[in-house]
Amino acid sequence: MPMKSRVWLFISMSFMFVLVWSSIVWAQALREETEKTAQQLATLLNVGRLIVDRNQTLINDPRKGDKGFTPEVFEYEVVDEFIQQTHIDLKHLPSHLPFLAKELLPQLLQSSKEVVADAQLVINQRGIGYKNFVPATFGSQAARKFSNRSHVKIKQTALNPRNLKNTPDAYEENMLKRLATQPAVDTSIMEWNDNEQTLRALIPLYYSQDCLACHGEPRGILDISGYPREGAKEGDLAGAISIHIPVQSR
Amino acid sequence: MALYYRSSILNSMIVGEPIISVRLMIRRLWYSLKEYGSQGTLVFLLALGSFLQGCGLIFDAVELVQPLARDEMSAICSRGQLRVGISVEPFRPFVFPAVFTDEGVRVTGLDVELIREVADALTTYCGGQKPIVPTLHLTRFRDLFIEMNEGHLDLFVSSIGGNVPGARPAGLWYSIPYFHNGGIGAMIQNPEVAEKVRTQFQHQAGNPDTLTAIQAGLSGLTVAAQRGRTSHLYAEANLKNIRLLICDSLPAAVEAKDPRIDVILSKHSILDYVTKRVWPDWRLLTRNDGTPLILTQESFSIVTVEEHRRLQWFLNNLLYRLEELGRLEHMRRRWLEEDYAPTRRATLEGLPFEVSKVPEHYDQGQCRFATGR
Repeated sequence: MPMKSRVWLFISMSFMFVLVWSSIVWAQALREETEKTAQQLATLLNVGRLIVDRNQTLINDPRKGDKGFTPEVFEYEVVDEFIQQTHIDLKHLPSHLPFLAKELLPQLLQSSKEVVADAQLVINQRGIGYKNFVPATFGSQAARKFSNRSHVKIKQTALNPRNLKNTPDAYEENMLKRLATQPAVDTSIMEWNDNEQTLRALIPLYYSQDCLACHGEPRGILDISGYPREGAKEGDLAGAISIHIPVQSR
Repeated sequence: MALYYRSSILNSMIVGEPIISVRLMIRRLWYSLKEYGSQGTLVFLLALGSFLQGCGLIFDAVELVQPLARDEMSAICSRGQLRVGISVEPFRPFVFPAVFTDEGVRVTGLDVELIREVADALTTYCGGQKPIVPTLHLTRFRDLFIEMNEGHLDLFVSSIGGNVPGARPAGLWYSIPYFHNGGIGAMIQNPEVAEKVRTQFQHQAGNPDTLTAIQAGLSGLTVAAQRGRTSHLYAEANLKNIRLLICDSLPAAVEAKDPRIDVILSKHSILDYVTKRVWPDWRLLTRNDGTPLILTQESFSIVTVEEHRRLQWFLNNLLYRLEELGRLEHMRRRWLEEDYAPTRRATLEGLPFEVSKVPEHYDQGQCRFATGR
């Protein structure tokens, strides 16, 4: 082989190597960004649930008409809590945030605000105590609204969900069963399925003391909303936020 | 512009001129009118008038073949929606307060279940191709009648008593009852009030007269009733010696502290439910033998406008059929006797409603003394 041809072969091989290597690095970076986005979406949905939970006394106060728990107030409290938990300001998203997160976090915040807006009539009824505007119902609606306007799907799920629409699929059921046998951990399950085409993320939720008023002991006795209590204890697995991000979104 | 030669009636009028200018025709007509003067103009207008009469006949004929103005049933079918008014003031267990569910904001109750039945029957009536969706308009009780008369609703259902004098505004029609033995009842907090009424019944030994006993027993007491409801009409007509307090809603009456209310009048079935499950501080006013004291019988109807004959027959036939099948009795037992959580039923079977039609911040309102008594 002449010298000139060898040089060309070497250059071509090097070029190919760089190309393959950079695409691997690029794909790896995208994977990490997608996983990070899934984690942030779950955190945001959970923060929304937390704010609804914190305002339960106000929402269920029968003596007050206009509660002042407007979508704007909700947004303010969510943004504040989200900064505390993630150091990310949803009002001024930092430039280092993954592109997907920049696109999806505002969409989820908007969906959550819309749920609070839709519930205003119920929240502001005077003379009515319990209104069932609780973290679970808020979360179901916010996840549904977000999923309807996005290619990314979010769902609250549990092994024995009260709302049958939250029944886990086969993958979620397997993961939830695995989580149920483990002690409470603060880590999420991230898996790439369908030949690396889909990210499935499961972020576990555990019962806190506040949840036990409806989900705790005694098991089987109806709670305020009419569902039988699960007999859960603090720290038990309550369910998970399941996120499904298809590859096109990358 | 030209009329082209065709073997039509129009062209047969212009024999010898296969193509003629419209402008030329108008000019000729104008000259003719000028030539014959005012008499000619009059004859022309009469001729034109007779042609217009003909147009009317044509319209009538077309309407006979294919009605231009559709009846209310066809309108519901083509719209795919049944516009139903429902009172925003809760009348548990007929209409529960709106709650938030996994499916969004929902309202439930016996009346809501009945609306589902009506919508399902309409789906079948309309051919079953697409479901007739009940669109609930939650509005204040007093506004239901206005909304109905203004044509914004097809019907309304809100435990409306149809057989109490003064309850039927002109222009509205009431169906056969879907709930019998509604009756007007009373609830109290102070046992002395019950004693006062029972003493009156004791005086009537062997010759019971509820109206007389109530008139004497409640004399001088502060009695609350909801504005426009049948209990209000009953009190206005029959209880002259009471201090009548008119409240915007039942919760407003319960919450009122000044003046202190001795008795609240409302539908017995509603009071029976709320004294057991919502306001345990209140109890039903009963007869000496412990049975509930019913001031007068009342049955609930579906309301629509007077002109909607087809819808009226549809509703009456449907209610009769539901009674025949035992469905109405099943509904009554399900909502009045079973132990259940309204929130859960709202999640499973509640109906959504048009939030835009609801007062922004539903306030149960206030109470004030009736004037002009």
